[in-house]
Amino acid sequence: MKRTPLIKELTAIMGREAVLSRPEDLMLYEYDALSALRTPDAVVFPTTTEQVVRLVKLAADQKTPIVPRGAGTGLSGGAVVTEGGIVISLARMKKILEIDLESQRARVQPGVVNTDLSLAVADGGFYYAPDPSSQKACTIGGNVAENSGGPHTLAYGVTTNHVLGLEVVLPDGEVIRAGGKCWETPGYDLTGLLVGSEGTLGIVTEITVRLMRRPEAVETMVAIYDRVMDATRTVVAITSEGITPAALEMMDGFTLRAVEQATHAGYPMDSAAVLLIEVEGLGEAVSEQARQIEAVCGRNNVRAVRRAKTPDERALFWKGRKNAFGALGRISPNYYVQDGVIPRTRLPEMLEYIEAVGRKYDLRIGNIFHAGDGNLHPLLMFDARDRDQSQRVVKAAQEIMGRCAELGGSITGEHGVGVEKNELMPLIFSEDDLEIQRQIKSLFNPSGLFNPGKVLPTGKMCGEIRVQVGSGA
Amino acid sequence: MAIAADVVRAGFAGIVGESQVLYGEPACAGLRVDGRLPRCVVYPTSAEQAAQVLKFAAENGLAVIAIGGGSKLGIGNPPQKYDVALCLRDMKKTLHYEPADLTAGVEAGTTFQEFQDLLRRDGLWLPLDPPGRERATLGGIVAANASGPLRQLYGTPRDMVLGMRIATTEGKVVKTGGRVVKNVAGFDLGKLLIGSFGTLGVIVEVNLKLFPIPAERETFILSAGTLGIARDLRRRILNSPLEPARLVLLDAEASNLIRPVASLDSAAREPEIWVEASGSKAVIDRTRKDLEELGRAVGAKVQLSDQEGSRASWRLIADFSNWFHVTSPESLVLKGTMPTAHCEEFLSLAQQEAGNEKVKVTSITQVGVGIMVLGLVGSNGANPMVPLVTRLRKSLEKLGGALTVIAAPVEFKEQVDAWGTPGSGLKMMQKLKAAWDPKGILAPGRFVGGI
Repeated sequence: MKRTPLIKELTAIMGREAVLSRPEDLMLYEYDALSALRTPDAVVFPTTTEQVVRLVKLAADQKTPIVPRGAGTGLSGGAVVTEGGIVISLARMKKILEIDLESQRARVQPGVVNTDLSLAVADGGFYYAPDPSSQKACTIGGNVAENSGGPHTLAYGVTTNHVLGLEVVLPDGEVIRAGGKCWETPGYDLTGLLVGSEGTLGIVTEITVRLMRRPEAVETMVAIYDRVMDATRTVVAITSEGITPAALEMMDGFTLRAVEQATHAGYPMDSAAVLLIEVEGLGEAVSEQARQIEAVCGRNNVRAVRRAKTPDERALFWKGRKNAFGALGRISPNYYVQDGVIPRTRLPEMLEYIEAVGRKYDLRIGNIFHAGDGNLHPLLMFDARDRDQSQRVVKAAQEIMGRCAELGGSITGEHGVGVEKNELMPLIFSEDDLEIQRQIKSLFNPSGLFNPGKVLPTGKMCGEIRVQVGSGA
Repeated sequence: MAIAADVVRAGFAGIVGESQVLYGEPACAGLRVDGRLPRCVVYPTSAEQAAQVLKFAAENGLAVIAIGGGSKLGIGNPPQKYDVALCLRDMKKTLHYEPADLTAGVEAGTTFQEFQDLLRRDGLWLPLDPPGRERATLGGIVAANASGPLRQLYGTPRDMVLGMRIATTEGKVVKTGGRVVKNVAGFDLGKLLIGSFGTLGVIVEVNLKLFPIPAERETFILSAGTLGIARDLRRRILNSPLEPARLVLLDAEASNLIRPVASLDSAAREPEIWVEASGSKAVIDRTRKDLEELGRAVGAKVQLSDQEGSRASWRLIADFSNWFHVTSPESLVLKGTMPTAHCEEFLSLAQQEAGNEKVKVTSITQVGVGIMVLGLVGSNGANPMVPLVTRLRKSLEKLGGALTVIAAPVEFKEQVDAWGTPGSGLKMMQKLKAAWDPKGILAPGRFVGGI
């Protein structure tokens, strides 16, 4: 369909205020937090499931691709268009539909911002546990699409462990409800399949989540190290001694210096690495675990362990961590955030490997990651204007991913596959494994119009990271 | 068209070897499903063999039911057809075990008990207490997403499975997920298989997340007097900072059955809330103090059960759905799932409706999770069970829950669907089934909506 008639049809469904079609408006939707690809033909802002159904049917009639989008904070290109089409922004579907504190559930529209849900239930002593770094901007719908994680998923699990029910518009316009408020519903776990499907199987229009009680006590500590190896060994020891912190984060010296300059969180500028460790729960359990953790740190040559004495200090420690990507943006024109997972005991050797990759490609690589579950986020610094450097960044990232796969890990722990890593999927899956995933995709999405070019390899550039780094970061 | 017996024999013998296939009554007697006997039982020794068995069965239209320890064969509708029992008991290798990483991968036929024995040496465990755990295999537990009261703190297999390999009816072995604790690469097919009761493919290997065994445990019993008080206690406990490992409501009938095992004084004749606290001594002392305070506020006294007695009691509580039916084969065992806020309300309704029909209810409810196991025993003569269960199911569905049949006489199951009203997702489920099992040979008819 030509663009003008398409816009006319969209306006008929949505009203003028809910359709963007001017080039200068559309340009803003070329991006997510990874990169920019193509310009969409239109961006629409439905407010009801019914409108989503009509949009989906229109797109099916017109054979136009559809890309669902939340806040556009994703890091794997899940919300960018690969071949034009309509971007369906769920940002205006942001009602909290139901809060049932007694059953510890909330039912929300997909555009509800992650933190807003926690704020809405805070007075009752509850919160929504998954906490991606972008939680002040990202939406629950986007979290569902990507199966997002966050620092506290170490203890409480990722999005899929907190989502119990979905309302979904399938590519043929049919609306189904999967799961619900209960922990179990008879039948296959469609909810579990749809979480993390990156908008390729359906558009989620309603989500039922589990709420958790805020813990009685929290202890937040920063452990400061003179050698990176001592910090990684501490992580291994904490895990293997059976201590389960709520969060266990690590930053290397390079990263923490950038963070410190930006946020003044109190990380010492001359240290080689810091661990940010949090324990939560009953007061008695928290003080015991904090003591145990201090002891483990001590056995691993920690320089000092600082405990947050006030809620403000705790917030400051976390601010440093959660704003780290932004802080690095201040010191490098561009950076490429990677997301890989390894068995936690392999951390020390993996960090050495990353350092060697940095040397090989002459790149500065910062490390900040969810150490407790072996989820690495190497940040590769570069200048996008330098073509050669940009290419080296992609190669270096690819080698790091290859190593994660060799160690029995994964090429993404929480950012998703998107358009970034779909060609890397063969690193961890065989052709048979991928074939069955393709089959699932074509069952739900036979025309391939829902978020095309995502998750599964297209076969165009086998075994490569497909992203043009630098355009968005 | 029926396939000739000698072709079947030669086919299976060619895949697993002659000694790994047994035919006829004595060998298959323990593998009956709803009274039906399979023609043979096949024992593969590798994932690839299991896949080949499925392929051969699919090509020849033989209906297969995958079996681990056989502890959950009563769940589901009577099979439309049952030719082959695919038993995984000879697949029990440990594929990798990394105690320091808190992960392990095993073949699906590994028994729950063997696995726990392995982990215990390193102070670890898989924190599940599913019914039938003496016999259950990990593959079966995952295929049924089976759990018990420990679900309160730890969740279900769905929260512990990191990845798996699945034998398909195409004869392939496919992998989903991985070995690490965090992984979002690709569609999460494992979720489809968890709780699919062997109707999509056969789980042949599972990778699991492990947990440290808590230092200490203590069981507290709060007398509730009435269901109203039980509700009050449930609200107070769940609104407190306490993090119980198990939290169940035993109705008066159930507590009368369990108390003697815990070597507690005579029958309570009233509902009770059982709480297990786990962790350090300080945590347990704190829990006791808080529970006593909570109890005082509603007039419930708190009793402590000794270690041995509580261990035996929790085993019995977790295994309730099994032994209740075994001890009275005419009984029904149902599982209700519901928003936690409706637990006592539904129980009270069930007691009333059953009472009207002279049916006795015995129930154990995980009140923090919203899972209720109900045992129903009728009086001699009239058979009110079919209309009773239909009514209860309708009431529970209205509350946003579901009522499934866990164990029942075949005659009952022939009249009442085991799973209840399928939701709007049924069509998608049927498509998934048709894609994974196009010949419909995997446990045909046993699952939701005729799948």
